[in-house]
Amino acid sequence: MQVQINGEPEELPGEELTIADLLTHRKVESPAMVMVQLNGEFVAREQYGTTRVADSDRVEFLYFMGGGAGR
Amino acid sequence: MKGFTTRAIHGGLAGPEAHGALRTPVYDTVAYEHDTAHSLQLAFEGRKPAHVYSRITNPTVQDLEQKLRLLSGGMAVLAVSSGMAAISNTVLALAGAGANIVTSRHLFGNTISLFEKTLAPWGLEVRYVDMTDPEAVEQAVDDSTRAIYLESITNPQLEVADCSLVAQIGAGRNVPLIVDNTLMTPYLFDTAGAGVAVEVLSSTKYISGGATCLGGIIIDNGTFDWRHAPRLAERAGRIGPMAFIGSLRQEVYRDTGACLAPHNAYLQSLGLETMGLRIERSCANALCIARYLSGHAKVCSVNYPGLPESPFHATARRQFGDRFGGILTFDLADRQACFDLMDRLRIIRRATNINDNKTLILHPHSTIFAEYADEEKEAMGVRPTMLRLSAGIEDHDDILADLEEALKTP
Repeated sequence: MQVQINGEPEELPGEELTIADLLTHRKVESPAMVMVQLNGEFVAREQYGTTRVADSDRVEFLYFMGGGAGR
Repeated sequence: MKGFTTRAIHGGLAGPEAHGALRTPVYDTVAYEHDTAHSLQLAFEGRKPAHVYSRITNPTVQDLEQKLRLLSGGMAVLAVSSGMAAISNTVLALAGAGANIVTSRHLFGNTISLFEKTLAPWGLEVRYVDMTDPEAVEQAVDDSTRAIYLESITNPQLEVADCSLVAQIGAGRNVPLIVDNTLMTPYLFDTAGAGVAVEVLSSTKYISGGATCLGGIIIDNGTFDWRHAPRLAERAGRIGPMAFIGSLRQEVYRDTGACLAPHNAYLQSLGLETMGLRIERSCANALCIARYLSGHAKVCSVNYPGLPESPFHATARRQFGDRFGGILTFDLADRQACFDLMDRLRIIRRATNINDNKTLILHPHSTIFAEYADEEKEAMGVRPTMLRLSAGIEDHDDILADLEEALKTP
């Protein structure tokens, strides 16, 4: 499936991928600090393992440097 | 890691330091190089976890911020250059011309000055109420109120309001409660549990410990939906719960240059490790001194929330448990008696600071409130006969002996 990550199109393997899988697949830096937006909506950290990414989705990995990681 | 001190010592950044250093070093640098232009662009966009300029973020400051986030249980933390920077940045991010804030009639003198002399001329209305009177708070809040602001223990009146009650009043009107928790810190008072939206601290005090350096802390407890804050609503729609800290980091804090020096952040991280131990000792000393002074013939009255006769004892016990902070005040016959006592002290130091390792004494009426007229001071509960004592961590016998000697008629 093809998704847009941080504004760039990217081909991902398989059809079933959670946000947690995507963080691992992309080897995202500082995963404990990243906040994830899926199609413009923030995903709660505890839902990374259950929220699925679908074809044509827009994903943003955002960092609030300093002392914050959201919830 | 459950224990406060365990977390204070072992919490912080996860990444290994160069040479296996067990302590995050002082990154005394202004800027950070990026390998490519694209990397720098991503960092500016927040799409890459990297520093760009130390007025916005710095690794040593971030280590302190992360430690305090773990210790407070807050959602996000911003370290700033002083306690007053923490208060001013917080209010600047939430309120503005045409709006009002509701605050206590009893506040630290410089906080009153910030509201009255610095912010009011820019159009901010400040409404003073008795925070221990829920009805008065309720009546003062209206649609233009952008925040309720109080101190967990007021300085130097040592008044204790029921924060949960005030937070509930605010929540009912979608108004966040800001609490200056300097005198208690997250060690003694869990403001998030009381429904407080934002906690501000002067880290110059208990956190730095030995009065080594100035600093301030802003904690977003994650208890308030910033979509209800008019100045943050648009940002909250874009970046969700990080809207408040994001607004500070990307505007108010960045634009006012309120950044904490990396060296100060290092000293305060060090201070945090022993803070729990020092607070226990300071609170025990304060209670011991308060009891001693209460029984002294030359002392007219003693004000300490830890004494059962304090009108705020029950609220303090319910809110803080069995520790009541390190500050107490007491009254002597007149101003001259206060000055004479101060001059005869040998161990207790005459200085304007609180929550130092050293026990400190001050005559607030002639110093930190000197800029106010007598009638204003009277309304603020600052009497010419009152001394403020900040209990340090010395052996209490030495402090009591110092007071005993100084209270003797020369």
